[in-house]
Amino acid sequence: MDILSVKDLKKHFGGVKAVDGCSIAIETGTVMGLIGPNGAGKTTMFNLISGFERGVGEIMFKGIRTDKLSPFKIARCGMVRTFQIPRALTKMTVSENLMLAPKTQAGERIWDVWLRPRRVREQERQIREKSRDILEFFEISHLGDEYAGALSGGQKKLLEMARAMMIDPSMMLLDEPFAGVNPTLARKISRYIRELRDDGMTFLVIEHDIPAITKISDRIVFMNEGKVMAEGEPAEIKRRRDVLEVYMGGEG
Amino acid sequence: MIEYVDTLLPYITTILLISSIYAIFSLGLNLEWGFTGIINFGHVAFLAIGAYTTVMFNMSGFPLFLSVIAGIVLSGFFGLLLGIPTLRLREDYLAIVTIGFSEVLRFILLNEQWLTRGPFGIHGFERPLQDVIPYQHYNTFLLILYLVILAIIYLSLERLVRSPWGRVLKSIREDEAVPSALGKNVFWYRLQSLMIGSAIAGLAGAMLAFYISYIDPNTFKPIETFHAWIIIILGGTASNKGTIVGALVFCTFLSVTQFTNRFLPFTAHQMGAFRMIVIGLLLMLLMMYKPEGIFGKKEELALSD
Repeated sequence: MDILSVKDLKKHFGGVKAVDGCSIAIETGTVMGLIGPNGAGKTTMFNLISGFERGVGEIMFKGIRTDKLSPFKIARCGMVRTFQIPRALTKMTVSENLMLAPKTQAGERIWDVWLRPRRVREQERQIREKSRDILEFFEISHLGDEYAGALSGGQKKLLEMARAMMIDPSMMLLDEPFAGVNPTLARKISRYIRELRDDGMTFLVIEHDIPAITKISDRIVFMNEGKVMAEGEPAEIKRRRDVLEVYMGGEG
Repeated sequence: MIEYVDTLLPYITTILLISSIYAIFSLGLNLEWGFTGIINFGHVAFLAIGAYTTVMFNMSGFPLFLSVIAGIVLSGFFGLLLGIPTLRLREDYLAIVTIGFSEVLRFILLNEQWLTRGPFGIHGFERPLQDVIPYQHYNTFLLILYLVILAIIYLSLERLVRSPWGRVLKSIREDEAVPSALGKNVFWYRLQSLMIGSAIAGLAGAMLAFYISYIDPNTFKPIETFHAWIIIILGGTASNKGTIVGALVFCTFLSVTQFTNRFLPFTAHQMGAFRMIVIGLLLMLLMMYKPEGIFGKKEELALSD
């Protein structure tokens, strides 16, 4: 079953065809890698799928047409994304960043703050506990009470992924999760992605680190100039001469 | 000595009364700007709506308490009306629209004489418990009442901004793409913040009317909005405690400097301008040396980046 299917998606900025008729389908519980040179349209694809930009074409997520929905509604369907340039909320603490994420928090409704204080407190406790576990996994638990503005670029990246994990999404869009992350942790994240996939979560991952992405992906889509140029299993893509030429300047 | 006390106490009472009204008015704006990042340059409109609604409801026969509630609710409702078409705008455009809104409202109050008596203003309306409290103690009573109201508003706001609800507001203040990506309805939260901030300003409007027992459209000029902004910046953006202290400092300063023209070679009119120059200078110094204000947190400074 495909959790996400995109049909003939287009997005033009003036004369620039950022995404020009892309169709992809991702099966539930798999990892799809999205690769391609800079300016290929990968991030625009992310923005279209997550609702941050409007394009032309059809996007179905879990059987729902999402191409006309606003980002928060798509997120509520169970899709969460990270950003290429990490968007940590720098004026909030690391814990607060994580605790913001979970959906259906009673305390986010103003009347529940007054009418059901006990339930709000209890939920806060659970969320705080969960955030501690996730911070521990990402090895940034010692930073919980720091303002996120004090974090390094790599740490902000981790924070963003940790925050996304707090939602328990059915699908995650990760925009360059390994960029600026040390190799040990990158391996750990890879392992975690595979574990979550085995539990049924679906991933769409933009990444320039080809060895890393081929290792974790079940399928890979190669984009160039707004078009899907190749799609297949990692081993297949690696053998494609045209991919190698465009992407690696033919060195491969 | 006794004479001093006799003149000083009413004077201090007056300052505290004005401060408490300004504090509540500014706390509403602090929720919008300090915690949500909404640039509202028309906050005074809701002070006016609260004051006029309370007074007009009361004069047409409603009990005073209900009239105040009507003032609060209607202010919040107008916050909703203003917010629906405007809260999707970028900050600077929102600033322009809101200041326009407050001026349009003031001109309506000025010109629709059948409703508001226009420039003649309204007086002779009921004040809380005015038949029970002896006249010479009335301001003391009002002060106690206002301090209680201020305490309630302060504690309620503290509870709200420390709740998960407040956490969403703070995330919107910094980068609304993040809460959107996490499934929060940013627009709805901004609307709630504007409604509550406006309702609080409406309450301050009723309090102002009771204190000065006379209202006219020129009580609600845009400068009042900017007084609230000065108070928030002075006390520390996103600090409710700071806003209250800011109101006290600001009102004391305005009040005390009324007498300084005895020592300075200025006319009363020149003194008014001179005071604003001094305030401007003080704010510039504050921005240079303590940009987060008296109680603000540097790490949460809304103006930085």
